[in-house]
Amino acid sequence: MIDSILLVDDEDLFHLVFEDSCSLLDITLSLKSLNSADEAVKLFADWQKDPTNRPECVFVDLNIIGSSFDGIELIRKINFEYGNHVVIGIISSSNEPEEQAKAVQAGAQFWIIKSDEIEPRLEEFKKDYDGFKNRTQPFKVYK
Amino acid sequence: MIIDKNTKKELIELLKTKNIGLEGNIVKLINPDGDEEFAAYLKQCSEKDVATRRKRLEMTKQVQTQNAELTKLNGENQRMMDELQNTLTSMEEQKNQIESQNGELLAWKQENEKIGAELVEAMKQSEQARLIAENAKNEAENNLDMMQKRTQFELINNIVRVALYVIIGVGCITTGIYVYSMTIGMDTDIIGSTWSNMFGILLTNSFSIVGTILGVKYGTSPNKEEK
Repeated sequence: MIDSILLVDDEDLFHLVFEDSCSLLDITLSLKSLNSADEAVKLFADWQKDPTNRPECVFVDLNIIGSSFDGIELIRKINFEYGNHVVIGIISSSNEPEEQAKAVQAGAQFWIIKSDEIEPRLEEFKKDYDGFKNRTQPFKVYK
Repeated sequence: MIIDKNTKKELIELLKTKNIGLEGNIVKLINPDGDEEFAAYLKQCSEKDVATRRKRLEMTKQVQTQNAELTKLNGENQRMMDELQNTLTSMEEQKNQIESQNGELLAWKQENEKIGAELVEAMKQSEQARLIAENAKNEAENNLDMMQKRTQFELINNIVRVALYVIIGVGCITTGIYVYSMTIGMDTDIIGSTWSNMFGILLTNSFSIVGTILGVKYGTSPNKEEK
């Protein structure tokens, strides 16, 4: 089970879906959801000084409406500005290889396609999680 | 997490009497600590929580799907509204353009009417000028005619006058010679018959000339019909 997860997504309904899916699949007991990338960056800036309550894994939406930058830029900032100490990846309805390549360059470890059937993908992700944590699992797209 | 016995009893009682149980991830963190009844309680709460979450997940997904459809429809509506707005704007522009063209056409019409009125006026003036010119022409023609007639009359007058002078001169000379012949006692047979013939011819010619003069005068008179 993942110790704690941070979800950054502008869609409130998906927060509920993700929370229920994580609970049903026993993925984590601690989930924090944010609507904006700016808010996430602010929290990571704070966690850089005091890592208490810092999440173990971060799921980032690709297009976060209402934010100053997109999910790939947020991953880049978290990885290169606030320390590369989290398992981080994209959760998006998009399946564009070009975007996925950009995400890899920014330091994303996984890409989960967001759809109605999210549970099987999260279950598969759960199985691969240890590999992501110890950095042995290569970048993977969950379709 | 371990819960004391009294709390466990209270929680179990609450579930039995009021169907109120623990919910959420906290259930997964509580250790029954060998209490089978409480373990069954936790299992029941967990099952209830899973059922509730599953139900909520399905409902949320449905709402999400409907929301996506609504968003799509909203996008379509927005697109149609934009198209409608563009069409309205375009129509408004066309209306303004037509109004502007109508204004220009009206101005052109007024200008044409003004030009038409000026043309009618110019035609009237032209007609008047034509009539004046025609009158002048007729007058000039009359004057020319009159001048020609006058010239002809003067010429005839001169010819007749010369002819009269010649007749009177010849008459006087012949008469003088005849009188002189009678006075000096010369033979007057020849001169007498000559004078007689001459005088007859001269008289005939004189009457002929006078008749010609009167005929010419009558013929060249402008109001001969009145006469």
